[in-house]
Amino acid sequence: MDDFVSIGEVTAPHGVRGEVRVWPRTDFPERFQRLERVFVRRPGRVPQELAVERARFHKGFVIVKLEGVDTRDDAETLRGALLQVPGDQVVPLPEDHYYVFQIVGLEVVDEDGRELGVVKEVLFTGANDVYVVERADGSELLLPAVKDVVLRVDVDAGRMVVRLLPGLE
Amino acid sequence: MGRSSKKGPYAHPSLLKKVREMNETGEKRVIKTWSRDSTIFPSFVGHTFAVHDGRRHVPIYITEDMVGHKLGEFVPTRTYRGHAGKDERTTRRR
Repeated sequence: MDDFVSIGEVTAPHGVRGEVRVWPRTDFPERFQRLERVFVRRPGRVPQELAVERARFHKGFVIVKLEGVDTRDDAETLRGALLQVPGDQVVPLPEDHYYVFQIVGLEVVDEDGRELGVVKEVLFTGANDVYVVERADGSELLLPAVKDVVLRVDVDAGRMVVRLLPGLE
Repeated sequence: MGRSSKKGPYAHPSLLKKVREMNETGEKRVIKTWSRDSTIFPSFVGHTFAVHDGRRHVPIYITEDMVGHKLGEFVPTRTYRGHAGKDERTTRRR
């Protein structure tokens, strides 16, 4: 995981002291409060590493003060920028939890080693998550992310072993 | 206006029949349905239903806390594609 992972997106300046309003793009928004440094990626520019001076929550957003961004005009230049961390600094996950970017792109095989396709998308339903597998012929196969169906996930090997219940194909 | 309580909860008769047959034989197979307004009965727990979202059948595994809700509540009909690129969103194998 060498690439950067986005944890938030700057939607607007907040106030006149250089704070920015950030829409969290993480399942762990509380991480902003212990964040010390962050990479700011503006469209078409190289990521710039900045220190986080403070962060607080406000109406579903995170209000972040970054080092060197001290006026509303400074903050305005960050509108639309992504706040990112290096891939090795993502929050560690418990067993059977994965990041969506780890699942998308995995090769899916059944227990007999038959290739079924590649995970294209993860759907979030009100119940289990659903992995959308794109087959070689372009059709879709939807797999519920439950242990009866998804037997093993090997992120390092880029492979997922599944058992297809009758009626799933 | 809600459904009269005298009638009891509704589920499509074919769903009830299929679940009853599978519970008797102990068989496990995905039940494909368009009936989003069917109530989840306690006998559905442990089965997987592929519920239509208007475009495709989305498989959902029924657990105890879903009883009493409708099948369609768990399968959104509008797709949120999310943002491009890598973010810190997680998925869980239940």
